[in-house]
Amino acid sequence: MELRTKEMITSMGLYSLLTMVVYQIALSQSGSSFDPRQIAAGLLWLAFLFTSMLGLNRSLVHEQDQGCLEALLLAPVDRPVIFFAKAIGNLVFLLIVEALTIPVFAFLFLQGGGYGGSFWMIPLVLTAGSIGIAGVGTLLATMSVNTKGKDFVLTVLMVPLMYPLLLAAVSATTAAVLGGDGSVEQFWAGMGGIAGYDAIMLLAAYALYEFVIGA
Amino acid sequence: MKQLKVAIVLLVVGGLLTTAAFFMAFYTAEVQRFGTITVTEQLDTAYPLQSVSADGFQYGRPWFSQKIFYFHVPVAEASFLVFGVAAFFAIRFLITKRREYDTKSRMAMETSLIFVVLTMITGMLWTRASWGIWWEWEPRLTTYFIMTLLMIAYFVLRNSIEDEERRATYGAVFAIIAFIDAPISFFITRLIPSSHPIVFQSGMASSNLVPFIVAQVGMLMVGYAIYTMRMGEEILYERVEAVKEALED
Repeated sequence: MELRTKEMITSMGLYSLLTMVVYQIALSQSGSSFDPRQIAAGLLWLAFLFTSMLGLNRSLVHEQDQGCLEALLLAPVDRPVIFFAKAIGNLVFLLIVEALTIPVFAFLFLQGGGYGGSFWMIPLVLTAGSIGIAGVGTLLATMSVNTKGKDFVLTVLMVPLMYPLLLAAVSATTAAVLGGDGSVEQFWAGMGGIAGYDAIMLLAAYALYEFVIGA
Repeated sequence: MKQLKVAIVLLVVGGLLTTAAFFMAFYTAEVQRFGTITVTEQLDTAYPLQSVSADGFQYGRPWFSQKIFYFHVPVAEASFLVFGVAAFFAIRFLITKRREYDTKSRMAMETSLIFVVLTMITGMLWTRASWGIWWEWEPRLTTYFIMTLLMIAYFVLRNSIEDEERRATYGAVFAIIAFIDAPISFFITRLIPSSHPIVFQSGMASSNLVPFIVAQVGMLMVGYAIYTMRMGEEILYERVEAVKEALED
């Protein structure tokens, strides 16, 4: 367990760092008048989405290789508990990687740009968004790990399902980064979207997980 | 066999109704007007003269691209409806674990995907004519596009699983979770500002409503016929597979 934690954080962290390098290439021709803060939120959530898919896939492939899931099923716990335990595990990994990525991103791309909103906004939107990613992602990864395509299937299932969440999260995060008139309203509108998505999708994932894990 | 006969009859009747709606849309339906144009001198044009004022002669611009309404909207509504049927059978499958519901759910999903593709094509023709662009990331279009991707993902997921029971269960789970997007896509134009028109809010003349309903009924008939025929084919296929297995043993 200890060993795996280290491995997960390293691989996810490195992956997200490499994403930053790719962003540098993407932005290399944008010129000095371009303000990266405009698209910072989008870039960050993109990195989180792809890193989370890597992490989700790995976390369940491990279980499958070592027969952990079967062992868990034999354990005398309610199956929904397994869902929440796995989802919270994935959430913690994601939050750690996010906490590591943001300073690096700010250091590389946002120097001298300034930060518009209140400080608490960013952790709030990150947590709310990550709950949705981890919850839905756990359900989808449990399915995709039993397919021939594994990570490819996870991408195909996950990206369209994540769309509404990411749209709301990017809107709220952009409001927090830029600040200014109406940014608080925009932030809460985005947060409302995230909350609605989390409530509906987590409920659905929680109800359906039993069938997935039993098959 | 009896079902196949019903399917063929429905296919023919549905095809005739849809064709009838096509002609009605162009010959009997009242032309909706898309604003007016004002010119300084009277022209001999196909546009009807609306009024003559100090500004000039005002002509109503017929909204010809609006004719796509009689095909685009019925086919889109059919796609939502059949997707709902697929989700319903998915739930039935998870409750009963009976294989026929899984097959029904998959067939409904296939039928719905046909309607979705037709909706996309007719929709894009209309946006090009009316908005001047092929595509816009606008709430209705975006959510519908996401729905299309989810349906494709459903088939990717199924094709990637070999174990039969697992394929059926995962397919049903994903169909249910994907269906959450359908009502969102359906109601989103009423909830947040969108450039996609909402036609049914203010009521409609009967000359417009009749071809619409005829097209809707016709398309649902065709959809049901496709669904039934594919079901028949699938049942035959499963029987052949069973015979093959029995022969091998």
